[in-house]
Amino acid sequence: MNLGHIVGAEFAWLIPGLCLTAFVITLVFGKFLPGRGSYISIAAILGAFLLFCSVFLDFVSNGLTPVSVDIQWIYIGDLGITWGFQVDRISVVMLGLVTLISLIVQVYSVGYMDGEPRFGWYFTLQALFAAAMLVLVLADNLLFLYIAWELVGLGSYLLIGFWYERRSASEAAKKAFITTRIGDVGLLIGIILLFKATGTFHISSIIHAANSGGISENTLICASLLIFLGAMGKSAQFPFHVWLPDAMEGPTPVSALIHAATMVVAGVYLVARMLPLFEMAPGVLPTVAVVGLFTFLFAGSIALVMTDIKRVLAYSTVSHLGLMMISLGAAGLAAAMIHLVAHGVSKALLFLGAGNVMHGMNNETNCLNMGGLQKKMPITAYSFMIGALSLAGIAPLAGFFSKDEILLAVFHKMGPIFLTLTLIGVFLSSLYMARLFLIVFRGNYRTERAKKAEESPAIMTVPIVVLAIFAVTLGAVVIPIANYQGLGTFIDASHHFRMLSWLTVMSSLIAICGMAVGWLYYGTSRLSPEKMSLRLGAFYRVIINKYYVDEIYQWVIDNLILAFSKFLAVFDRVVVNDTGIDGAGMSVLLSAIKVRLIHTGRLYNYSTAMVFGLLTVAIFWWFI
Amino acid sequence: MIELLHFQVLASALFCLGVYGVLARKSAVLILMSIELMLNAVNINLVGYAAFRGFEEHHRSLGHVLVVFVITIAAAELALAIAIILRLYRNRGSVNVDNIELLKG
Repeated sequence: MNLGHIVGAEFAWLIPGLCLTAFVITLVFGKFLPGRGSYISIAAILGAFLLFCSVFLDFVSNGLTPVSVDIQWIYIGDLGITWGFQVDRISVVMLGLVTLISLIVQVYSVGYMDGEPRFGWYFTLQALFAAAMLVLVLADNLLFLYIAWELVGLGSYLLIGFWYERRSASEAAKKAFITTRIGDVGLLIGIILLFKATGTFHISSIIHAANSGGISENTLICASLLIFLGAMGKSAQFPFHVWLPDAMEGPTPVSALIHAATMVVAGVYLVARMLPLFEMAPGVLPTVAVVGLFTFLFAGSIALVMTDIKRVLAYSTVSHLGLMMISLGAAGLAAAMIHLVAHGVSKALLFLGAGNVMHGMNNETNCLNMGGLQKKMPITAYSFMIGALSLAGIAPLAGFFSKDEILLAVFHKMGPIFLTLTLIGVFLSSLYMARLFLIVFRGNYRTERAKKAEESPAIMTVPIVVLAIFAVTLGAVVIPIANYQGLGTFIDASHHFRMLSWLTVMSSLIAICGMAVGWLYYGTSRLSPEKMSLRLGAFYRVIINKYYVDEIYQWVIDNLILAFSKFLAVFDRVVVNDTGIDGAGMSVLLSAIKVRLIHTGRLYNYSTAMVFGLLTVAIFWWFI
Repeated sequence: MIELLHFQVLASALFCLGVYGVLARKSAVLILMSIELMLNAVNINLVGYAAFRGFEEHHRSLGHVLVVFVITIAAAELALAIAIILRLYRNRGSVNVDNIELLKG
């Protein structure tokens, strides 16, 4: 039975095409449309989601064979560069995640952004972002992917700086753009290296060439590491993580969409896409895993002490992106992708919940001013709880299964020490989730404002309930039933769903343990976090200042980069400008002052010169 | 007996007089006259060579034709030059070339 006969997988390009059309229409005519273009954007993403469903059914009914469509773009000699789309096991999963979360977030935004002066512009940007992200997911060649990658960065820049009247927002937007650019340069160099070695941008051709030994080992290592650098920038891995928490200056739905569920996982997706290449380059996968592990623990510890609700979630995102990198480093492609989906849904849920809290609290973000909100906004509270439990890895929610898969991959590939460190991260993860939930929603009202908080309108609660349902049921997709072999096998044919009972029990116990510790500190008054922070002293100060990473960067910029820039400026002014350009001009001018004296303007000088000139010519002609 | 040498001597004497006139005179009119002198020296040369170099009859007339051309063009050129000098005198009240040095660097 061919279910996907409506729109086949070869028409997958329509999905980003729809969003791009919506972008153009809202950009040009947005002001004149009802709802200032928001309906167009939502209709486009809804259409994209339905198209995805059709494409997905077609893809499944055709036995999961990758479908790719290529259009010749330019020829340079023998070399042809193509625009191409590919629907395969990984991209179809990402396609579903991006269209679903975008749809939910855009519907939610109608409520959240209500009364915003630039309401239409917001939806224009949402459409642009969705189009760019979908192109990135579908692109089958690295050049095309890079274009989409930069467009996603642009969308992110514009959305973070959406409230550009606020200085902090425009600074955060610049920080995000510049920080990710550093990684992007690496990515571009990596792509060019691969192109130089193979003569193609096509991902599958590059992997094929690498498989048949067409790329030397050194090139492979360099290119893989440079591509990973790009992924580190986008996915906010240490030391590029600094932009993500600051990106919380954007509207909260944007944080949910871009900085939790979709854009930041572009790096993870890129590594997943290029994983066969990474596997062939010795030493690269362990690097990926170590960077991931460090980020996982590092960001998790910061999330423990932040008091801004969105920053806690931001550091939690950084941390979980690290977890996905660990999984990729352990060659657990399926595990990483499952966690990507589970985390995407849970974190979008948490961010939209945080948006509801901020909406009800009159844009308050400091969670120490909240408390007791469960009584005021029960729907948000219970949905938030589901998201938090899912991220903490409590069975049977989505996060539990994905975390288990990752731990299994780590256990098989990386050994016990690495596993222990990952489990510590899992503990931190459930601890900060418990802390955040308990501080915000339980206990007493800490301020008058918390007492007056109200639940948000239906347009903002329904989306998070939908996401909560997904977070609960997504776990079921992972489990194989009858002919269906589970999401893991769907993503990676060589993957088999398996559970090590002792590992599952241990990780669950650790997660519950984290929850319990959180409860002891923040749910009851038996243990006091203040005393704990006093006892930790210096260590606490280091963490609350985010390990002084921002300060170190500021120092480097002020003292090294600015000094070097000043030297360059002086070099430019003195050597290039004054000596090179002005000097050449001056030398002509000065010599002209002397040379022009030859011209006396007197006729007899000229005629004498003529006569003697003629005589000289005549003499030469005569004698020579 | 008049020979080619006489023509040559006369022509070069006239030419040198012309050159001297161009170099030494201050008045634009006299310079112009000296230029005419040089042109006529060339004409004498042409006529002399045409008469003495043993050309064929029909070739011999070529030198005379050339002379007629030179005279015609010299007349035209002179008309132009006189006009320029006239304007010069009207504008500046003098035709002394020493005073005309507008192109001085």
